[in-house]
Amino acid sequence: MIEFAHASLALLTRDLRAVARSRSQLYSSLLFPLMLLALLGTGVSSGLSPTSPRILDGDYTSFLAPGMIAMTALFSSTFSSAGFYRDRESGLLRAMLASPHSPQTILFGKSLGAILIGTIQALAVLVLAVIIPGIDLSWQYGWLGGVATVVVTVLALNLMLSGLSLLLALKIKTMQGFHLIMNLVLFPLFFLSGAFFPLDEVPTWLEAIGYANPLTYAVDLLHYASYADSPDGLIGPLIDGLVLGLLAAFLFVIGLRRAPRAV
Amino acid sequence: MATAEADIANPQLHALLSGASFVWPGGRGVSDIDLSIRRGEIVTLLGPNGAGKSTVLKMLSGEIAPQRGHVSIFGEQHGPNVRRRIGLVLQEPSTDDLMTLQETLQLHGRLFGLRGHELDRRCRELLESLDIGDRADDRCETLSGGLRRRVDIARALLHDPDLLLLDEPTLALDPDSSQAIWQTLHNRAAHGTAIVVCSNDTVEAEHHADRVVFVDEGRVLAEDTPSSLTSGLKSDALELDWPALQDVDLDELKRWDGVGDTIRTDQGLHLTVDNSAEIVPRLFQTYGSQVTGIRIRESSLRDAWFKIVGRPIENGLGRKA
Repeated sequence: MIEFAHASLALLTRDLRAVARSRSQLYSSLLFPLMLLALLGTGVSSGLSPTSPRILDGDYTSFLAPGMIAMTALFSSTFSSAGFYRDRESGLLRAMLASPHSPQTILFGKSLGAILIGTIQALAVLVLAVIIPGIDLSWQYGWLGGVATVVVTVLALNLMLSGLSLLLALKIKTMQGFHLIMNLVLFPLFFLSGAFFPLDEVPTWLEAIGYANPLTYAVDLLHYASYADSPDGLIGPLIDGLVLGLLAAFLFVIGLRRAPRAV
Repeated sequence: MATAEADIANPQLHALLSGASFVWPGGRGVSDIDLSIRRGEIVTLLGPNGAGKSTVLKMLSGEIAPQRGHVSIFGEQHGPNVRRRIGLVLQEPSTDDLMTLQETLQLHGRLFGLRGHELDRRCRELLESLDIGDRADDRCETLSGGLRRRVDIARALLHDPDLLLLDEPTLALDPDSSQAIWQTLHNRAAHGTAIVVCSNDTVEAEHHADRVVFVDEGRVLAEDTPSSLTSGLKSDALELDWPALQDVDLDELKRWDGVGDTIRTDQGLHLTVDNSAEIVPRLFQTYGSQVTGIRIRESSLRDAWFKIVGRPIENGLGRKA
């Protein structure tokens, strides 16, 4: 167990260091959501004057903030998987897998880095959303509970995405193929997650797809904890937490179990 | 079976492949490989690209398990305790551009359970022994191919393995880097590490290996010391550019005194002879301008390969005449 912890810590340290040295990755992961908040948020708030009761006071920028937190986790997960491919192509992953540790330990250590980096970056967006004037988060159950819920949600979301990325990366041999799948699958899922528009006011068929979408439960929980001023119209933390938690654990465990010794 | 059990119990025997076979999807692979690697010896698996050398290495490293036959390392099946005693150098340099040399070794050392001052000391000593101590804090992206290869070697040696597996460690390297790497490998072998090297370089194999294993099309074709493999050869080797070589000329040549093995090649003919100073003038006297080029050298492992396999070790498809 101690050796497992040491190996995981060594891999985590290495991945954190690698991200710290990839300045472009760091900046883009923060700048892109901020850009969307500033441009899309302001544009829709001013140009379309949304009247949905779920968009409080027609302030679309604030409504968008929890979705941007989820999106940052999504981007971060994609970047981390690119690191998996880089390590595989450079042979470094093979060298790591030749160590005494099981493939599960090595991939767990690598995923730990992805999860932590994704969580830190997503929470950085939350901090910026709190600091930026004009973004109003209600924290309906208090900011302490709200922040704790956001942290747990983002952790679970990153765990789920990390497991999914692992499964895809073990199946898809090239980074280009991986990005293609991510773009084809994850972006539509993200658009239908309630991050950009409330799902309870869209046509039934779209709503049905939205509720079959795992990301919906993460975005709903983020809205519940930070943005919304009442639980009305939201799925609620119990179902959100259950779906997200079970799916995250399932995908992560399956991803690790599929890990081969030879890559 | 009794012999195999005795072999497994032999502490001098670091690795044993017995009837090991593995076929990749697509059909390539190795078949019925028998191989034993003893403490302190350098064994070269010699063969052209695609011969199956890397597959044998992967079975030894535990990356793949044989589909038939068995592999035993230090008398055990593969597992964490076995992997702890193996060092692996892959065919391509496998470093992360964003990490420094020191960080690369530190990560590897920690994965092998090394920590603290002991890890620092080993990193420092290895980098210095491979003449890259002054680059310890440089990022790997700043290193040449030769220096990256030295980092790979340092990483594989860091945990002081008893079995070192290297896939073409000096491929495309400058002479200084090759020399530094071989020097390190010989030092390790002298201290008891068993070393297995995959290569298609006959010169390196002849100079550095204690034992050479010819691997071709997934099978072991011969296995012996370089001197034994070359002992039956005539002293000189001739490579003739002879595009219009006829069977009748070849039959005539084979009857000449002092001519040994003759093998057709893409360019013409490869043959070994007792004394090139006698044969070459006679060749030109008899066949004149038909022979458009000639290369003469001392017979070597390359010619032993020619003789046993029937074609050059390069990918050319010659056939035994």
